[in-house]
Amino acid sequence: MSEYLQEIRDSVRQVVADSGLAAGHETVWPLAVELGWLLTSVPEELGGLDLGVAGTSELCQELGRGLTEIPFIPAVLALEALSHCQWSDRASWIERFTTGELVSAPLVEADLSIDRSGVDQVLVSGSATAVQSAEEASHLLLWDSSSECVLLIPMQQPGLEFIKQSTWDEARRLYDVIFNEVAVDSSLVLATDEVAGKLIARLRTLRNFSLAADAIGASSALLELTVEHLQTREQFGRPLALFQALKHRCADMKTVIAGAEAMLQDCLRKFASQLGEDVVELKSKTAKYLASTAFLQVAEEALQLHGGIGMADEHPCHLFLKRSLLSEHLATSDMTCEVDLATSFLVGTEG
Amino acid sequence: MSSDTTTRQLREEVRAWLAENVPADWRRSMTGVEQEAFVAAQREWFGKLAQAGYATPHWPQGWPGGGRSLAEQKIIYEEVARADAPRLILYFVALYHAACTLMECGTPQQQDKYLPAILSGEIWCQGFSEPNAGSDLASLKTRAERRGDKYIINGQKTWSTMAQYADRCLLLARTDRSGPPQAGLTYLLLDMRAKGVTVRPISQITGDDEFAEIFFDDVEVPIEDRVGEEGQGWAVAQATLASERGLTLVELSQRMRYSLSMLAEALKENGCYDDPVARRDLGVVIAKVDAACALADQYLLKRISGEEAVGDASLVKLYYAHALREFTRLGRKISGLRGQYAKTFVRGATQETGNWTLDFMNSYNWSIAGGSNEIQRNIVAERMLGMPREPKSWRWGEG
Repeated sequence: MSEYLQEIRDSVRQVVADSGLAAGHETVWPLAVELGWLLTSVPEELGGLDLGVAGTSELCQELGRGLTEIPFIPAVLALEALSHCQWSDRASWIERFTTGELVSAPLVEADLSIDRSGVDQVLVSGSATAVQSAEEASHLLLWDSSSECVLLIPMQQPGLEFIKQSTWDEARRLYDVIFNEVAVDSSLVLATDEVAGKLIARLRTLRNFSLAADAIGASSALLELTVEHLQTREQFGRPLALFQALKHRCADMKTVIAGAEAMLQDCLRKFASQLGEDVVELKSKTAKYLASTAFLQVAEEALQLHGGIGMADEHPCHLFLKRSLLSEHLATSDMTCEVDLATSFLVGTEG
Repeated sequence: MSSDTTTRQLREEVRAWLAENVPADWRRSMTGVEQEAFVAAQREWFGKLAQAGYATPHWPQGWPGGGRSLAEQKIIYEEVARADAPRLILYFVALYHAACTLMECGTPQQQDKYLPAILSGEIWCQGFSEPNAGSDLASLKTRAERRGDKYIINGQKTWSTMAQYADRCLLLARTDRSGPPQAGLTYLLLDMRAKGVTVRPISQITGDDEFAEIFFDDVEVPIEDRVGEEGQGWAVAQATLASERGLTLVELSQRMRYSLSMLAEALKENGCYDDPVARRDLGVVIAKVDAACALADQYLLKRISGEEAVGDASLVKLYYAHALREFTRLGRKISGLRGQYAKTFVRGATQETGNWTLDFMNSYNWSIAGGSNEIQRNIVAERMLGMPREPKSWRWGEG
């Protein structure tokens, strides 16, 4: 790990430790801006730290450990899109979005239709779900693969509505956004046609890796919490950690996390510079799937191993459980991933 | 020359050699044959590999084929997996366990005597496990009594792979019954042709008999065949067990990945290619196989960079064993009732043969042998997660 990355990761770790679990947007976002977290993967020539997807993954992992509320992943996606578009003024946009102005993006595929027939504007209709912190955002990054278009859309304008969804996991702050023939100036279109196709693959891949890292961080923190509980809680005159039946379940949790983590690191090592390629998107899907299923397993086990206290609202166990249940359905849901992985593989063996 | 170029060259070289030399259709020729034919085929394959230097890449510089870095060894194993070459099951203990133990703990005289013999095809077996000492290896009871310049061996070993063909045995025996169990063990090299050695193959649930029991009845071992000092056997045995750690599973997890196509075939053959449930199950297995490969690779990278931590090897083994179980279970499910018709098996095959019920049963080798899943979980929980060790004070009648 480079010195820069280590430094910035330590700053995230420090903030997460100081502000506590599921720390709010108001506390953490200003620090994220001030400490330069958003610059992590921005290329050097655009004023960033150039630490790439490996860098943002480290940060996502740390933020995941703390179930932190800030919309870091969507902001990273928007900055990635800007860094890889042809806009002449992209540097000033990047500056806006790294110095306080908030940009968001949906954490699942949006259901959009983008009419590109107009000369100076495009018309956006449809809806996007799982848009983090939409209310605070000035812009959203949107894409649609069938109309081959990636664009930024300003939040405040006619035809655009947003609705806060109160999810079980409160620390994601998800919104639905509805677009009713929203007119967007053509200058806000980041990419179209084939270029858009590549960019979309890149963004989905990055989203998968980020969510995988987030889930790995959260599951590692939860395993630590669980082991600590078993070490301190005594029954039958001994700590629960002495019972092999429970130790082995912790070992199994460690093993699934290790598998998911190795997959993510393997991908980052091999594919960090090939983010727009189909085969890499598939690998990123595998990484996200392994991480979110590992997180689910750990969260389910953790609740059981905590016993009664795990059912109490005052204990953080449930926050991790709810995050894991939500993560299962972000990007591509686990069930769909299973089918997709098999189908891509079978198509490969036919060729 | 850059390291990228050298590794690419090595890869191409190995790939070309394998394409030329892997016995064509060995799976078919090894199906349903008697073990003698298998042994002959293994001898021939070992001879070829040894001559090309690919049997001993892990040996030190100066030995034929030796002096390869871990990264180079990895390339060789990946290519062997890719070429679906037969595994050197018969020589594994000799090439890894015996050779690495001798290199690390043997005297120059022992090295001079035994290493060239291994290179020329001597077969070795391991005499560690006993009927009453499996996971609790240190409790073993086979006795080695010192008489002048000899040890006299009495007792029984079990689960010794291919012992019926072995020339020599790596024997862990008890020289002292006082004190803690680990302290009284001594490591010996035993001639399997010596008087008083009886080998009885164990007929397995798969119909194969890869393992055997070994009985020792006043067998003499000269004192110069002791490795390490008397009472230091436990430490020497650790060197034996560490010798193959990591590399084997890099190869086997790669083989599992290449074998995924067998599941695609099974879906077709059994009319469930488009079955959405079967597809989901396949997706789960694909992801787990990917993770097993990534974990084995990462482990080897850690070993190369000297960052290996206690327990890392256990994670690799636990994950591989799990992925293999899921893989073979799915094959068994897909193949339906037809998968229950007993088929003749391929001798010396890898873990995945498409004979699904047999493959499924064989997958237990990986969750039981070489430190069972339960032992690995103890290591992970105690050494990685810092959970307390088992209390040791239990006695019959106290529970």
